Amino acid sequence: MTSTLHRETVENRVFRASYLALLVFMLLPLFVVVVTSFSQAGRLAFPPESYSLAWYGEFFESTRWLRAFTNSILIGVGTALLASFLGVTGAFGQELDTDDSLGAILQPLVLIPLLIPPVVLGITLLMYFSEVGLRGSYASIILAHTLWATPLVYFVMRSVFSRFDWQQLDAAHDLGAGPVRSFVHVVLPNVKHGILVGALLAFIISLQEFVMALFLSTPSTTTIPVLAWTQIRQALDPMVSVVSTFLILISLGAIVIAAIATNLEWLSKQLS
Amino acid sequence: MTTTNTHDPSSFDRIRDAVIGQSNSRRALLLMAPLIAFELLVFVIPFFILLRISVASGSADLPYESGTWSLDAYSSVIENILSFDLFWSILVYSFVLGGAVTIVTVGIALFYAYAIWRSNGLVKSLLLFSVILPLLTTLVIRTYAFTPLLSPTGTVNDILLSLNLVSEPIQFVPGIVGAGIGQLYIVLPYAVLAIYSVMATIDWDIVEAARDLGASRPRSVVEVVVPQVMPGVIVATVISFAWSVGSYAAPGLLSENLTFAIYIETLLLTDQRYPVAAAFSVIMLVLMLISTGVLFAILNRFGGDFDLA
Repeated sequence: MTSTLHRETVENRVFRASYLALLVFMLLPLFVVVVTSFSQAGRLAFPPESYSLAWYGEFFESTRWLRAFTNSILIGVGTALLASFLGVTGAFGQELDTDDSLGAILQPLVLIPLLIPPVVLGITLLMYFSEVGLRGSYASIILAHTLWATPLVYFVMRSVFSRFDWQQLDAAHDLGAGPVRSFVHVVLPNVKHGILVGALLAFIISLQEFVMALFLSTPSTTTIPVLAWTQIRQALDPMVSVVSTFLILISLGAIVIAAIATNLEWLSKQLS
Repeated sequence: MTTTNTHDPSSFDRIRDAVIGQSNSRRALLLMAPLIAFELLVFVIPFFILLRISVASGSADLPYESGTWSLDAYSSVIENILSFDLFWSILVYSFVLGGAVTIVTVGIALFYAYAIWRSNGLVKSLLLFSVILPLLTTLVIRTYAFTPLLSPTGTVNDILLSLNLVSEPIQFVPGIVGAGIGQLYIVLPYAVLAIYSVMATIDWDIVEAARDLGASRPRSVVEVVVPQVMPGVIVATVISFAWSVGSYAAPGLLSENLTFAIYIETLLLTDQRYPVAAAFSVIMLVLMLISTGVLFAILNRFGGDFDLA
């Protein structure tokens, strides 16, 4: 009996040590990025020899980075709006659909783009947008990002709608409310948190997406991740760490908002 | 509404149901229309154009000759692969990297998902947070952070040297180990969440039951938990595999080898050989589809066998 107990303690310790090691592995790279952004030297090293805010000053004086930042926000907002509209209407329509024939095609069709390597999607869309004359526009990047963001909004909304009590909508119809009015007054208040989380996720996905943007952007529509990529291939200085710290902070803010609107456990289920 | 009493209720209900049913399904169609149109315009049609360009002939001064039909691009790629030339080595490297990363990722993800499932309170939130934050951070940052850590003059080598574990720095970066670690870090959060979302629905009591019946703790996990989370494992495997075979950022930054994604970029943007790039993409997609199908079949059978046991 004592030997079993002893074995259980050893097992427990090994188990805890292993997942704590993994926890460190998951957070260490991001920690490295944030710490190196405060380095004074021009060479990227961890831990830095001395600390300063010098590179933050450089960032706010660089028109190139600020421009890329504006582009990223613009494309992110466009993606969030478009993906939310498509995801919410699509999921709502499928919920109302009585025979599931169309929905059976819709679900895999929405999902497949996520399983295709982004480089293949990138070159496919590059060829396509050159054909239709959208190459180099903001719209081309927004459309590409929407292709990735819509599945997430769509599945978040499917899950939200599936918990909604649809008899309330029937009741609203019976009481004489039209389709628009009943949606705004009956459905919307119950699903607005879901829509907020979906839109936030779409925004973050667009903000962080890199491979498709690399193919589709031009010098005037460059986003932050693309500029960061070209920068690190030339020289490893702490500027990219500064920019990355901002991006990490934005994601952190979005997680906090989403976690307040719903909860972390639900959020993590939606992301898978 | 006021005339309800004068009608036979059952026939009225039937008409009412039919009217509402029809308007509902028409409304449903109307609501789904934007999404369907979007997927057609930005996904399905572009893929047909990719297929079309892959069977056009190349041109000296244009990316491709429009309106022409030729299988030259396919035959040149396939010939190159069959003579074990550049395309062959790129293909092998992509699949080896993808396969190795997938195996390690799914193993670690199973363990980490189990740790999240079994923990509670603050620890659980912290573990979930450690998965979600990297997930929402761009690939560029996720791979970039490994450079100061893994380079020959980096942190890991400094520690190993000061502990006298190695006599000279190990070159993780640039190299396949660095690329593999970077790619692992990219796909691990997705794999963990895919497995965790299934695991969270399992009833812990059945694991207790297995233990009461004498199964050791590791055995109860392998024989009871793993078969139940097979759907999550399958999703994690398919995602890790598809993204790692097609990986671009991690091998591009942390190694000097060519993966198919990196080479396609060269073909497209530097060499401007659209038909060859398109044909190589199509061939890689088909190979990935086949290997994913095989993986799927194996995992399904594996899950099924455990259910019977």
